[in-house]
Amino acid sequence: MTTPAPTLLLRASELIGRPVVTLSGEFVAEIKDVVFERTGGRIAGFTLRNPGLFSRSRKDSLPWAGVHGVGRDAVMVPDETVLTPAKELAPRKKARKADVLQDRVLTDHGRDLGRVVDVVLHGGTTLDVVGYEVEASETLGTAGQRVLIPLPDTVAVSGEHLIVPATATEFVSDDLAGFGAAVDAFRRRLREGAS
Amino acid sequence: MLFSQARKRAVVNTATATRVARVDGFVVLPGPARVALLRLGKVSGAGTLLSWDDVQGFGPDAVTVATDAVIRPARDGLEQRAEDNDLEILGKRVLSEQGTELGAVTDVDFDPETGAVTSLITKTDTIAGQRLIGLGGYAAVVSS
Repeated sequence: MTTPAPTLLLRASELIGRPVVTLSGEFVAEIKDVVFERTGGRIAGFTLRNPGLFSRSRKDSLPWAGVHGVGRDAVMVPDETVLTPAKELAPRKKARKADVLQDRVLTDHGRDLGRVVDVVLHGGTTLDVVGYEVEASETLGTAGQRVLIPLPDTVAVSGEHLIVPATATEFVSDDLAGFGAAVDAFRRRLREGAS
Repeated sequence: MLFSQARKRAVVNTATATRVARVDGFVVLPGPARVALLRLGKVSGAGTLLSWDDVQGFGPDAVTVATDAVIRPARDGLEQRAEDNDLEILGKRVLSEQGTELGAVTDVDFDPETGAVTSLITKTDTIAGQRLIGLGGYAAVVSS
């Protein structure tokens, strides 16, 4: 049996401070913060830090659609034209405060799995939000500990709750090492269940 | 031929049969990866750049040119950065287009006939020259 190529999973918070680099090999800025979308529990983009460069242009954020690849060492963009002013990324006031962090994850059977503390991304050139890191509730038997919950391809979000299928509880991981396989197995289960 | 072997080579004017400069470095441009310019030292004039197109021959003992006039200063912003060493490929970090660091360039293999870069060499890898998609101040970017 051959081992599948390791999938690159990373926590959104790990991206903070990482360089943004163009495909031409030029440094653009550093990631300052991750901006989550209110709807869908997905990433809207990143705010950037590079005061010298932005003092005139004010194009100090990077929308998710402008990202070419997210890796262990850099966030790659085609060129600097993908940058936009931060207000276009998060137009509503306090949008960044009202992000997915701190939301409760609820199963579709109505069980509270815990509070979101981080978001797990699948890196590479196909970018995907694959899970949440939650501070587990009593439901999971590991109350108080941080665990990783896989996400289906689409998530329902109300504003206070992120709804995941109940089967997600069978695919919870303690660390990123085994989480990629857990996400794959979980999504396969959902597809089989739906067909 | 490796950059490490080709550096310090004498540049000889074939009209006067005199040594006019020394090869100090190579300016590589991507798409397709090639040596576009040579950076020269020990020059008599103000310019330190020599276009690959103006090289008569890149031989095992000397680089030949037809006239000193082809040794010239930078013509544009890109060449100025090259002359300032900002785009030097040796020592530059290599990033994949997915944002993973693959080490630093320790040497480059090129075809002395055409100037084409055949591979980038790092401590652990040999990366085909065709994979070079960008070379900037921060990194050499290679396709997967």
